[in-house]
Formats: sequence, structure tokens, C-alpha cells
Amino acid sequence: MILALVVAALLFCLAGCGGGSSDPADSTSSTETSAAGDGAASADAGKGSAGTQEKAGADSKQASTEKGSANGAQPTSGGSNGSGSEGQKHGPRIAQPKGAPEQGPTPAEIANATVANMSLESPAIVASAGSPGRLAATYTCDGAGSWPAFHWGGVPPGTAELVLYAMNVQPVEEKLFVDWAVAGLSPSLTDIEAGKLPKGAIVGSNGFGKQGYEICPSGGGEIYMFAIYALPQKLSPPKGFDGREFRKEVLDVSGNVGLLPAVYERG
Amino acid sequence: MRSKQTAIGAALAALAVLCALFAASASAAPAWKFETKSLEGTEVILGGAYESALTVPGLTTKCENFLYKLTIENSAGTGKGSLTEMPLYNCTTNSSACTVSKISAEKLPYASHLATFGTTNYIVIEGVKVPILYAGEECVLGGTLVTVTGSAGGSIDNTAETATFNSSTLAASKTELKAIGQKIEWSGLFPTEAFQWHREQALSVS
Repeated sequence: MILALVVAALLFCLAGCGGGSSDPADSTSSTETSAAGDGAASADAGKGSAGTQEKAGADSKQASTEKGSANGAQPTSGGSNGSGSEGQKHGPRIAQPKGAPEQGPTPAEIANATVANMSLESPAIVASAGSPGRLAATYTCDGAGSWPAFHWGGVPPGTAELVLYAMNVQPVEEKLFVDWAVAGLSPSLTDIEAGKLPKGAIVGSNGFGKQGYEICPSGGGEIYMFAIYALPQKLSPPKGFDGREFRKEVLDVSGNVGLLPAVYERG
Repeated sequence: MRSKQTAIGAALAALAVLCALFAASASAAPAWKFETKSLEGTEVILGGAYESALTVPGLTTKCENFLYKLTIENSAGTGKGSLTEMPLYNCTTNSSACTVSKISAEKLPYASHLATFGTTNYIVIEGVKVPILYAGEECVLGGTLVTVTGSAGGSIDNTAETATFNSSTLAASKTELKAIGQKIEWSGLFPTEAFQWHREQALSVS
């Protein structure tokens, strides 16, 4: 009876104590089998300790390792040091990279860039579960067609003017499509109310040829980017300025921007 | 009667110990293994992404080649790693107006470790920092420097010897990459194959 109890409890343990411990390594059995047949020399070398392997394989493998710098871009994937031949146990081969690896921006380039380090938020555009926020129809041509409230932060000291934009993320006929451009905002501002602009705001022309705000996708939906640019010098464009052209000037002088993507889908 | 009770008690106690040992072993942190043997010392994994794309909402950046070099070891029974190189090649966007002017992984090496979430093993890469400078007068992010930061967890497939990174694996591993204040998507499929002392040996995580 005790034996039966012990066996039953052990079975219980195996089923439950491990917390659903389905071991992913179990699935390696087939891989291991195939591995045994392929790189036998490597497998033999691998039987010892790391130190032993080092001695056994140092001459041939160290050379491979030296070649095997990711930055050097010598190997393709597959441990084959770029041979890419068929019949090896490992998966698909990666094409040899062409040219030099991409480089990061230099300090001078960073100084000249518009750095996306300001915050821009809207209570009407809230991201959820990793997806960009959605724009309600009321803020589009399918509804009242007015802008939501926005608030921002991180305006750098020395900012002379703020400029607010709404743009299509994807260009239209190869050109940036501006849905809304507002210049002349005071650097001391941190928000605007829905449908209202502060005194001194200068409204530009958008891609629809309208002085004002219009979010109106031609199809079933679009992804938009709202942006607040901080300008270290006043540009003060004239009323009705061309939003698309003016943004080039903005990028020339702007050091910082806050970005807020939003998705609008009809129906 | 008493001796029977004592025997049952002893058996149950032994059982409890066995059960506890089993539970401890089953929930142990995952480690790197070659041909089912735990890795001793260090090993270098080197490869290129079979595919990889990074999406700031609406704008996807792809790199033709996305290589990586990861030095791995088991420390106190847990798989660790150090991503020492991550060169990117020929990066483009899905917008005709936007080009990638500059992009690279900064602040390398990135520490990494193995972790189990649910029944799946993940490699979690921490401290990622990838600045991207976009160009293009007509590009919505033209002239703008966007920096991707955060951590990323990829699920390990022992059979295919790959690590898969996507929005599901990032969520499952409680990691996230952010840019412009938003969670961003990153998808990638990477081989997990030894390149140094254990070449041609099956690498698994368990």
C-alpha cells in the first residue's frame, strides 16, 4: 500500500510538481541525431572539457574564429565559414553582405539632426498593446474634422518657437503630405486644447490646399504622424504658408522634435 | 501499528523531498547545451538574420544583412551571453521618400540571459540602443534621429536552432523596444549556431 502511495505521488509529481515543465530540450533529440552524423570531427572535439577542446581545435578553429567576426562579415551563417555547401546539418545560408556595414551617426551629424527626444501626447490618441494609438473619426473629415488636444514636454532651453505638424507617414505621389501645419507657438506652451489654437498661432496650408487641419484618407485608412518641432530661432512664416515647403526650413533649424503616430481606419 | 505509521511518515517525507528536488530541477533556469551537455567555458555564436525588420509605426526599416556575434556561457547554471557585434548592412525603408542615412548598434556589448516564460525558453537581450538617422526631404522622418532602446526577448527553437524575435516573443518575455515614446515592432529570425569550439554540434537551451 505504501509502495502504491509512493508510486501514485511520484506520478503526481511528474505530472504537476514541475509546473508544466515541458522541456524544450526534448525537441533536440532529432537535431542531436543528425548532428552525430555530420560534423563528426567537431563532435569529437566537443567531447572533452572546454580546455581540452581548446587544445584540440585551437589551430584550425581559432583561425575560423578570427575570420568569424560579425563586423568582418566573413562568414555566412551556418558555421561553415561561408562555404554554404549543401548537406550540412544547419539551416539556410545567409547571403554574404555586400559593401561595408552601416555606420552610426557622428557627433556632427547628431548636432545637425532633429533629435526625436521630446514627448508629444494626446488624450485622444493612446497606444495600446504595442500598437500605435487610434484616431477617432471625430478628428477626421468623417466627423467634426477638428484636432484633438495635445500636450508635450522636453522643450529644450533656448527654444524660440514651436511648430506643430500632422503628416501622412507614407508620401503621396513621392511627396510629403502635410495635413496640418501651425507655426508661431510660444515655447512656453505645453499644450493646446482640442479644436482651439492659442493667440499668435500661424496656420499654414496643407496638402489639400486648405489653411487648416484636415485628416482625410483617400482609402480605408492611413497612418499619421503628429510632430511638435522646437526651433532655436523664430521663423515666423506668413499666414497661409506652404506647410510642405516650410517643413524644409523647420528641419534646417530644428534641433528637437516630439512625435506621435496615430492610425485612422474607416469603419 | 506505530511502526506502520512511522513507515508511512518516512515514505511521505522522502516523497516530499523527491518532489521538491524534481520541482527545483524542472524550474531551474535554462542553460546552453551542446549535444545535451551543459556548455563549459565560453562559446561564440555568430550568424546573420534570416530576416529582420524594425517598424516605427508606419515606417518599416529593413536591413539586407543583420549579423551578430554572441559570446555565451553558463554562469551559476544559467545561460548568459554578451552580444559583442551587431553590424547592419544595406538598410532601407518601406517608404519611397525615406532612406536610412545612418544606423548602428551602440553601447555594445549588450548583456543577455536565458529565461523561461511559460514552457518556452527565451534569450533576452538587454540594453539595446540603435540610433537611426533618416534622410529625405519628403520623408516624414527626414533629418530626424530616432533612437531605439530597450530589451528584446526571442524564443529559442531547439530543433531549428533559431531564435525568433517578434511582437509576441517580446510580449511573452516581458520585454519591449521603444522609440519616439512608443513600443515598436521588431521581427527577426536568427540562427543560434556555435562558431568556435562546438561547431557543427547541436546547440539547445534547456
